[in-house]
Amino acid sequence: MSDVLKELEGILNVALPGNLVEEVIKVEEGHFDVMSNVTNAFELMKILREDAGIYHLSTISGVEKDDEFNVCYHIQHRIEDEFREVPINLIITKIDKNKPKTPSMIEFFVAADYYEREIYDFYGIYFENHPFLQRLILPERWPDDVKPMRKEYGWEQIKEITMKITKEGLEEAK
Amino acid sequence: MKKILVMGREALKNHAKGPVTKHVLKRIAENPPPEDIRTIPRIIEDRCIMCGTCVKVCPTHCIEIEKDNKDNGMIWLLKPQCMWCGHCQTYCPVDAIHIDRDPNLSVSLFSFNIHQDYEMLVAKGSYKGDVADKKLSDLIEAGGKKIKEVEEFRG
Amino acid sequence: MTEQYRSRFRTLTDGSDAPPGADHHIFIGPQHPWAEEPAHFIIHLKGERVVEADIRIGFNLRGIEKAMENKTWRQNTMLIPRACGICSAVHQNVYVRLAEKLAGIEDQISERAKLIRMFSLEAERIHSHILWYGILAHDAGFDTMLHVTWRDREIILDIVEDFSGNRVNPALMLIGGVKRDIPKEKADRAQPMLDKLIKQVEYHKKVFTEEASIRNRLEDVGILIKEDAKKVTPNGPTGRGSGLPFDVRKATPYELYDKIDWNLVYYTEGDILATTLVRLDETLESLQMCKQILYQLESTQGELLARVKQKIPEGSYFARGEAPRGEDVHYGIANGTDTPERYKIRAPSLGNIDATLKRMDGEYVADMPVILRSYDPCFSCTNRVMIINEVTGEKMILNQDEFARKVIKAKKYNRPFF
Repeated sequence: MSDVLKELEGILNVALPGNLVEEVIKVEEGHFDVMSNVTNAFELMKILREDAGIYHLSTISGVEKDDEFNVCYHIQHRIEDEFREVPINLIITKIDKNKPKTPSMIEFFVAADYYEREIYDFYGIYFENHPFLQRLILPERWPDDVKPMRKEYGWEQIKEITMKITKEGLEEAK
Repeated sequence: MKKILVMGREALKNHAKGPVTKHVLKRIAENPPPEDIRTIPRIIEDRCIMCGTCVKVCPTHCIEIEKDNKDNGMIWLLKPQCMWCGHCQTYCPVDAIHIDRDPNLSVSLFSFNIHQDYEMLVAKGSYKGDVADKKLSDLIEAGGKKIKEVEEFRG
Repeated sequence: MTEQYRSRFRTLTDGSDAPPGADHHIFIGPQHPWAEEPAHFIIHLKGERVVEADIRIGFNLRGIEKAMENKTWRQNTMLIPRACGICSAVHQNVYVRLAEKLAGIEDQISERAKLIRMFSLEAERIHSHILWYGILAHDAGFDTMLHVTWRDREIILDIVEDFSGNRVNPALMLIGGVKRDIPKEKADRAQPMLDKLIKQVEYHKKVFTEEASIRNRLEDVGILIKEDAKKVTPNGPTGRGSGLPFDVRKATPYELYDKIDWNLVYYTEGDILATTLVRLDETLESLQMCKQILYQLESTQGELLARVKQKIPEGSYFARGEAPRGEDVHYGIANGTDTPERYKIRAPSLGNIDATLKRMDGEYVADMPVILRSYDPCFSCTNRVMIINEVTGEKMILNQDEFARKVIKAKKYNRPFF
């Protein structure tokens, strides 16, 4: 692990404090997975954004595990002279399933807004300090407590809810 | 750098040619659809072993299979649902399926006739004849019920 | 940082929450003649100048991500190109590369299969770019160019149809290789057509750079300078027009993009003309690459399809590809069975919205169509996650089966659809 961490530090040209990083995995040449937990993720991202100068956020994805949620920030370290990019997946682990909460990274990336709202829609993960955490993609009538991408909602249930809200809409239109 | 009437030549050329729509029929006759165009799958009866692979790989669940414990059975295709992806052809273990090259697309996409919704791709052994006809009428009935549900839902 | 980009955080619908100084509010969409696809733009004006702009998305959710968790990896190969109408091949390419990496067979793909995949990708880039700058000319009020470009676009569509059997959705790729071969006769038939198209695209470029009536509409409009671009993170041609020289094909080469001659195109002006020229030059690059690929295919042999097991071992992988609109990002997690545990798609248009809203600041309202078109909006790409199939006008939600039956019934009894 430490070799991989050193290699990543060499590419980024910063020191990543050991207590912030849980694990670093090298997926392939120039492609890293960095694990960090909820409490340390914000500081780690601060180092990556401000010291290493990473400015491109590709996307954010929410992942449901058996006993926790993960939120994965896919960021790119860009080396402009060589037209090269180093993809880094910053995976935030240990998000409590009962009260999912994680720091918002909108301070560092403006683009994080849409992606975080999308995850808030689909998983119900609350992003702290997000200035406008509102529904982005789900329909207006969609019930607030149903988070469709969670495993507890199967395909058939989602279908039923969709039919129900449409019926309501039609009745209201009459 | 900036000029006007860069497209002057094009305009004159098109003016001399006249409207394009005049030549549409001629152009269609000159450029028929290519030979390898994709449409619905067909099964060669002699080769089919009723393994059910095509049913498993079909992304739209448009292929249905019914068989007994011997290799007698039949395979049905729900024509409007098929998107001509050719997965059944690719993954067929005995190369029994080929993609039809009949360019008569509009007929096979929406058949306009509910009796043509389900098409029998293959029937083997004891499932031929009367049994197949009865199965077809059952399927149409099931389809009819679904339409009824939609009607009720709309009110 | 967020203070500078407040516009998105407003909830206006009746003008009560409008920014100070704005005296008019224009609402574009969700159904609007300008856009073929549903999105809702809210533009605040002071006189003729734009103060702020906002966007609502979410009118076209189809639930592809959820549907993918309920289908097998093999079935998903044909579901994934449906994420977008125009850039279908690149979605499929990223998906199959991701699945191959997870299955551990990425070394077994033959060069011939990779070349055929690359041809499909480049052909798609050509027809998507030609489509885009045709519509751009239409938005700028230059309809002649729309007809000329779309006439010439038929050439590449004919080639794609000849090779794959479909016009826009070639669906040539499979996990482990490709579905169809490109035999020599077909390649020989395509070469003169590509030559003809190169001539035509050079002519299109001449029109866009020299003809005053179109150039005046694009030059110095909607400027996005590099410093702003770094903050709002555009991708693809939108970023390359503003001096961010990043293309996934160069940045992290996939398939055989590192073994073929091509140049990265980028401009530093940052206006709409620059993004147009990026796309025009890329079209020429892609055409040149297509010719190279067809030439290389003659001397390359190999198996078209490698054997892949149905079950994909546990693991996660993050794959990217360069779509015509920008960077296409997929993140997949496999759990050892034949269905994916989680599959995330981020199509390029969603990443470019910020940049486009930034472009609008202080521009004339008459330039809005051109600026809104500049990032090649594709809202099928932008929102893809619920199962609603909402038909406009009367609200009605049907699944595919019911929809097909509905159409059949409407035709049978010869009555209107609704």
